[in-house]
Amino acid sequence: MSTPSEGAPTGVIHDIGYRPYAGPRLGEGAVAWALFVTGLRNSFGLGRSGRSKVLPMGLLALMLLPALILVGVLVQAKDLLGLDQQIVAYSTYPMTTQLLISVFVASQAPALISRDLRFRTITLYLARPARRATYVLVRMASLTAATFLLVAAPLVLMYVGGLLADLPLGRESQRVGGALVGALLLAACLACTAALVAALTIRRGLAVTAVIVLLLVTYTVVATIQGISADTGHARVGEVAGIFSPYTLVNGVQVYVFDAPHATRTPPTGDGMGVLYLLATAVTVLGSVGAMLLRYRKVQG
Amino acid sequence: MSAVSPTIVRIGAHSVFGRRRGILLFLLPLVLVGLAVLVRALVGEDLRSTEDTLYGLGLAVVVPLVALLATTGVLAPEIDDGSISYLLAKPISRHTIVASKLLVAWACVLVFGALPMLVAGLVLLLGQPEVGFAFAVGSLAGGLAYCSLFALLSVMTRHAVVIGLLYLLLWEGLLGGLLDGVRWLSVTRWAAAITEQVAGQVTLVDDLGFTYAVVATVVVVVLGGWLTGRRLQAFNLTGDE
Amino acid sequence: MGVSVEDRAGPGSGHGAPVIRTGALTKTYPRVTALDGLTVDIGGGVTGLVGANGAGKSTLIKILLGLIPATSGTAQVLGYDVARDGGRIRSLVGYMPEHDCLPADVSASDLTVHLGQMSGLPYPAARERAADVLRHVGLAEERYRPIGGYSTGMKQRAKLAQALVHDPRLVLLDEPTNGLDPSSRDDMLALVRRIGTDFGIAVLVTSHLLGELERISDHVVVLDSGRLLRASATTEFLHRTGTLLVEVQGKPDADRLLGQALLDAGVRATPADGRMVEVELRDDATHDLVRDLAVDLGLGLVRMQERHHRIEDVFREGGAGSVHPV
Repeated sequence: MSTPSEGAPTGVIHDIGYRPYAGPRLGEGAVAWALFVTGLRNSFGLGRSGRSKVLPMGLLALMLLPALILVGVLVQAKDLLGLDQQIVAYSTYPMTTQLLISVFVASQAPALISRDLRFRTITLYLARPARRATYVLVRMASLTAATFLLVAAPLVLMYVGGLLADLPLGRESQRVGGALVGALLLAACLACTAALVAALTIRRGLAVTAVIVLLLVTYTVVATIQGISADTGHARVGEVAGIFSPYTLVNGVQVYVFDAPHATRTPPTGDGMGVLYLLATAVTVLGSVGAMLLRYRKVQG
Repeated sequence: MSAVSPTIVRIGAHSVFGRRRGILLFLLPLVLVGLAVLVRALVGEDLRSTEDTLYGLGLAVVVPLVALLATTGVLAPEIDDGSISYLLAKPISRHTIVASKLLVAWACVLVFGALPMLVAGLVLLLGQPEVGFAFAVGSLAGGLAYCSLFALLSVMTRHAVVIGLLYLLLWEGLLGGLLDGVRWLSVTRWAAAITEQVAGQVTLVDDLGFTYAVVATVVVVVLGGWLTGRRLQAFNLTGDE
Repeated sequence: MGVSVEDRAGPGSGHGAPVIRTGALTKTYPRVTALDGLTVDIGGGVTGLVGANGAGKSTLIKILLGLIPATSGTAQVLGYDVARDGGRIRSLVGYMPEHDCLPADVSASDLTVHLGQMSGLPYPAARERAADVLRHVGLAEERYRPIGGYSTGMKQRAKLAQALVHDPRLVLLDEPTNGLDPSSRDDMLALVRRIGTDFGIAVLVTSHLLGELERISDHVVVLDSGRLLRASATTEFLHRTGTLLVEVQGKPDADRLLGQALLDAGVRATPADGRMVEVELRDDATHDLVRDLAVDLGLGLVRMQERHHRIEDVFREGGAGSVHPV
């Protein structure tokens, strides 16, 4: 049915007939899923230029490296060193590698969030059937999932290594389970706050700086306070301070809920403090989401 | 032709405080002083706590970040959107441009880095004001060196801010904590050595001579600034990302 | 789950039903009124929306898409109410914004496929449609390169492609020729015309350049300061308000003689520069009338030149803001 194309030079419209689309049109759920997957892939540089893969993939490798070494030592020298559990506890590992995680979140949040605002591509999304809130929530979910993968991958590696080293299955499964829940909470806290910062600053360089500053400064301040308060008998102060940095916050939650070994000087003690930590986690995540939704309501396309 | 152009200084000051960057610059010293107040309330006047606070948060985190924000704030936006080419087309020597912009950055380091350090130090240890003073001097030295470094970075790549942060986190932060040898090439540790010498009674870094630290700092400040000027002369605006 | 083909028909899809209908549509901001009681029906084919910057064109489009809420009044697109069925409307409508909206580090192909998916197309269909649409807008090998390296013309085409990828029933094109050189502008206008005629998609195209809209639109809607100045078929503009420039000679005062004769015959005629007569062109019979009168008066007919009024005359009559003739 189509007319033969004229031998037109490039840039001029070819004269093949226009075919309308009569196929299925998916609903908002499927569209949201497609956006989620794209965002998750983009966080690791997949589907983008080659250079954007370097940093996230590099960070992933750096996250796995120490775990690999630890597993190697565990498997090989277990009897020699008399090891009967993981050298570094599952719940402690993210705390140790927090700089890598912070850099990941700081660099990928702008890529996922600021970019659409900076180039005003957000208009093209808003002019499509999916709702504004869907876009915001799915973007944050993609970043959370990407961060979770980064934090959880070495934990899984350690778990598998532990099984290879004949550590008790039941105990290890329980511990890694708790740690994975912690990883999810940590990912949610980091991703949601970073996304909010990225949505407020828009310029990539500034967004990266702001997130790093936020995560680094909060941790340093909290660690300093905890150290001093522990040394001077004011443990309670240190415990409360712990809610102001996502790393110490989530570690505290794991200590309280899963009885994980503590990685801070002043972990939460008692139910009151434990509940405070849980509430603080919820506030961090939900508060960021709420603020994001408000911020995007102002975008007029 | 003067060594510093007042116009460029003024424009530089404007662009540093433009948009959200300015908020961070105010926030960092605020956090430092705030922590100092908190620690003082907790433990009274204690040398050890003072060292931890002023070194751990102040010298290692706040000062480098202030330097980074100030320097990139003065240079990066112009390079980012290409308006630097207007400046380069004027009959002003490249070194004058660099000197003027660095002056703004140094002023920021003084106001948002060294001065708050002094205040924090006095809050923490009013009885030994020389400690606060020493930390202020150390931060100034470290801050100046960082400014030159980051200025050079800004004219070499569009991703100056990210690379600067990575340098701070990974080299000065992570590796510096693990490997001792890093201290010979670490601006923060030079600043710490200078602080030690001036205060006389604090120990922050092992085995790093005062003379070496001073010389290293001066070299970085001068060399960095001069190289930045050189680089601007051969400046080429490349495409995008 | 999903929108079936039948649903796409919609309540207002019958022949002759307006594609866009507004009723006293108003949008006020604290210091300015962007739209002021706009009531207009827009049908199929290509409709040009003309007005100066700030006349309310982009505001109208954003309200129709549901990007901003109206202050008062109603609007329907393809029979669906803008306030209630925004999602439905956006699945049937394509939008090409005026401002830059393309990321620099993605290729046109990837972007179009992604946005096709965002419009509800399954991935394989999105890829096929994207390839088709990019070919139709004339992006060949460039489609695989990052958009950052495109010329303005290519960027506009990429923007148009993403508006068409999901086979919409209506496209809203906001200043599609912005920043294009004259030959690219002609290409784009021809493309817009094709979309309206060959592709069977209704088109609403805005511009502050009048000449181009004359060429490609079936209907023209003229806005000024948020109010409707004029809405009619382009042909009406051109014929009803056209004039004939007539030059006669052979006798002294030839022009006055002819002018008087025309007035007696009930045709409006006014003196024009250089001893010519400007005759109101009502229909094709006017030409014959002028010829016959000239012959009767024994005058020589030297010139009979059609001067079609252009859309800009609407503005002169209505005293509107500055619009630029091409």
